[in-house]
Amino acid sequence: VKRALVALVRLFPPAFRRRFGDEVAGLLAAGYDRARARGRRAAGGFALAAAADLVRSAVSERLNPTWSEPRARRAEEPEMRSTIDAWSADLRQAVRALRRAPGFTAVAAGTLALAIGATAGLYTVVDTVLLEPLPYAAVDRLVHVAASAPGSDMPPEFSLSSEFYLHYRERSRLVEEVSTYNSFTSTLRTADRVERIRMSWPTWTLFSTLGARPLLGRLPNAADEENAVVLSHALWQSWFGGDPGVVGRELDVNGASRTVIGVMAPEFQFPNDGTQLWISNEIGLEEIRPGRFQSRIVARTKPGVTPEQLAAELTTLARQLPERFGGTANYARLIEQHRAVVRPLAEQLLGGVATPLWILLAAGGVVLLVACANVANLFLVRAEARQRDLAVRRAIGAGRAQLVRLQMAEALVVAALAGAFAVGLAALLLPVLLRAAPAGIPRLDEVGLGAATLLFAAAAAVASALACGLLPALRASAPDLTRLREGGRGSTRRRRWARHLLVAGQTALALVLLIGSGLLLRSFAELRAVDPGYDVASVLTFQFAPQQAQLADGPSWARFHLDFLDRLAALPGVESVGLVENVPLNEGTAPVRVFPEGAAIDAEAGTLVNVTFAAGDYFRTMGVALEAGRSFVADDHLLGTGNAVVSRTLANRLWPGEDPLGRRLRTQVGDVTVTVVGVVEDVLQDSFRDAPQALVYLPLAGPKPDSWQISSPAYVVKSARAETLAAEVRELVRQVAPEAPVYRVFTLAGLARDSMVELSFTLLTLAIASGLALVLGAVGLYGVLSYVVAERTREIGVRMALGARATEVRRMVVGQGARVVLAGVAVGVLGAVAATRALESLLFGVAPVDLGTFAAMSAAMLAVGLLASYVPAWRASRVSPVVSLRAE
Amino acid sequence: MAVGGSAALSRLEFHVLLALAGGPLHGYAVAEAVAAESGGALVPRAGSLYRVVARLVSSRLVAETAPPGEAPAHPGLARRYYALTAAGRRLLAEEAGRLKRSAAVAEERLTLSRGRS
Repeated sequence: VKRALVALVRLFPPAFRRRFGDEVAGLLAAGYDRARARGRRAAGGFALAAAADLVRSAVSERLNPTWSEPRARRAEEPEMRSTIDAWSADLRQAVRALRRAPGFTAVAAGTLALAIGATAGLYTVVDTVLLEPLPYAAVDRLVHVAASAPGSDMPPEFSLSSEFYLHYRERSRLVEEVSTYNSFTSTLRTADRVERIRMSWPTWTLFSTLGARPLLGRLPNAADEENAVVLSHALWQSWFGGDPGVVGRELDVNGASRTVIGVMAPEFQFPNDGTQLWISNEIGLEEIRPGRFQSRIVARTKPGVTPEQLAAELTTLARQLPERFGGTANYARLIEQHRAVVRPLAEQLLGGVATPLWILLAAGGVVLLVACANVANLFLVRAEARQRDLAVRRAIGAGRAQLVRLQMAEALVVAALAGAFAVGLAALLLPVLLRAAPAGIPRLDEVGLGAATLLFAAAAAVASALACGLLPALRASAPDLTRLREGGRGSTRRRRWARHLLVAGQTALALVLLIGSGLLLRSFAELRAVDPGYDVASVLTFQFAPQQAQLADGPSWARFHLDFLDRLAALPGVESVGLVENVPLNEGTAPVRVFPEGAAIDAEAGTLVNVTFAAGDYFRTMGVALEAGRSFVADDHLLGTGNAVVSRTLANRLWPGEDPLGRRLRTQVGDVTVTVVGVVEDVLQDSFRDAPQALVYLPLAGPKPDSWQISSPAYVVKSARAETLAAEVRELVRQVAPEAPVYRVFTLAGLARDSMVELSFTLLTLAIASGLALVLGAVGLYGVLSYVVAERTREIGVRMALGARATEVRRMVVGQGARVVLAGVAVGVLGAVAATRALESLLFGVAPVDLGTFAAMSAAMLAVGLLASYVPAWRASRVSPVVSLRAE
Repeated sequence: MAVGGSAALSRLEFHVLLALAGGPLHGYAVAEAVAAESGGALVPRAGSLYRVVARLVSSRLVAETAPPGEAPAHPGLARRYYALTAAGRRLLAEEAGRLKRSAAVAEERLTLSRGRS
């Protein structure tokens, strides 16, 4: 950035530059360094202000010089001077020429501005979210470690557990520091405020692993045990008004009193899921329970260690775990199959959003290319019209370089105009883009118009000037001297060929985008058509977590919640109510191993399934169909009868072809055996893209008084007033549990919408891009054919005078257009086959090379092309022979 | 040209002259002094600042001068020092007097109008 700023000093006229250039550059560098010390944002602000000022002063200095030097010294750098002089003369001439053609200038600059602006806006997002390094020291040495166990029934990738952390930390020779952490939502309580917030429970080594320093106070150490918390900057501001006295205060965090020891800087967001505070932790040997795969691990490698080397070392180290920590035979077998998964932290944190963002930026790039082709075509036509002028210049001794320069100057002026407009356009577009963007894109709140946008717009403008200007310029450098003959005319085959190539290229690019958005549209429709097994209309969900002394065992928890269900059901306009531990679309369920009766506990027969709790009219409220048996009744919850309801997939997996009712299975939860009393329809728990899970629903209380207590189930309320019920619900909760915050209040319809927002956002943006490309392509074709028709007016006139019919003339012109479009479509289809692979992770229910979509979009492209050809064709067929011949 | 015997000085020009009234300074120090003395109202950017310096030098209100004796010779960083000429000092004094008179008038009118209301 500094170098770019200093380079701007060259804009000043040479006299000024020779005398003051070094000083200006020195002042810029010193100012930048000082601003940089205050942070990236300050530096960006400084660079922008300084750059704007440099451009403004340089222009004023050229128009109205404040400095001239003695004549004697002017002879310096003669070569440089002559080039600059020549260019500035050409630029002045280009400005004059373009001013005489305002229509051409507006269309060319407008087209480019639209494309550059859109691309610059997208680039700004990509730059902040993906390219800006994470705010940690030596971030390239930070890695995320996870587990895989090929051949087992575990998911392809899963979390590690704390014995891995202890073992890695002691034995790894490639790791410098390592930390393990769990993230969850829990209650934060002060004297006057109580809320559920996102918190993380990392070992105290997290901060040294990341290389982070606190803004206030200190960071945890091993001696803090679990009694200290560190606040995020956001929490410090919103709850404590930025009061530095917060350090040392006692807060009620996750059910225990803990001391605030420090506050982090705003850029420290780890993990980047809205975590508000970090509880200190040190894992001791005595706490290890091997095989609870729930912890995430982040590590800092020693310099020069690759992820592959580390993965190999950690895999080997893990083999020693069963011997050191014990654990079940199942655990030992899993460790045999275990392979450590190591990937750069940045990839782990940003991986999910990278693909759609890059796709959108690429789409913007394609639109820019199409726009360039369009403008290049306009320039070609313009150059054509000036052949005579150029030929005269050539004849009286202008060199090739001179003619090229003249053409390039016009392209540069147009592109500069476009670049300036594009920045304004990006400023307008960016807020719209950010508002439409899906939640959960890290650092989206930091995205703003800045130096990156300006540099990108400038680079794009220069690149498009080259792309638009080069072909016409080369053409202009060898003007056809025969034009000097009286009445010289006729465009050569070669010249037409170049323009047709541009139009075919545009068509191809537009078709690639069209096919891409067509595939996303199909995916969107397929996802909308998925039956998730429940009905999202008119359902409100919320949670609250009572903390009361008398709620000490399973049955009393059950009674509390069943009473509250009755109160909810009594609200006016409520159809039915129920509760569940993990509401679909909002929270995942924890996988647990279950064993059908008769199988040995540690045998292969154990099946990994998901377990949740349900009560009230849960199934009816959600519209989950009961396929066999019965649902829970009050006694199941209050007496702990040990009954369970299972999903269809689970029944089919455990007892294929048999009646599941009355069968028993043993679960690891509470270590009890339950009896199946009902079978319900499958539901899609997390996302509409996944296959339905095998799911066991347990009642609120287990067969033993302490077998399970669930602290914060999600209530579901079916009501026509679902959108407006929240306030009444809060009041009800306040009556029975004033200590408990109500949180995760959503309508299921809203959650369903959110689950598709990533796709719909990408779809919308891509659709806009392809629409733009389609229009630009059509305009390009129209322009070229119009020009051809105008050029051939005489020929067409002669044909018609000799008896050609209007339809024949139309067919001739449309045929010419159709050949170009067909060639473009053929190339576009090939391009799309290669390009749609990048979309694969976003697609659902449709293959990347979907014949229907390819055919439909190609047909649409062809139709638009023919339409664009028909207008000039129609005009050609109305040529009056008399008029066209008289025009000679 | 804006700078001349009786023509008004721009705010930045005035502040640059003001900064140099204390003795010879180099560009960076001028920029800092201007920012400080204008109470942050002026943030001189490199391009504008040196155009003003160029104009003041051209109209002989400011001249380049030898570095003050104690300034260490800085290798690689050629710092040029500027100082007021006699004409510059005169113009600054005139301008300061004019500002003082204007300020007095303003104060008087504001006091009057406050008294009236």
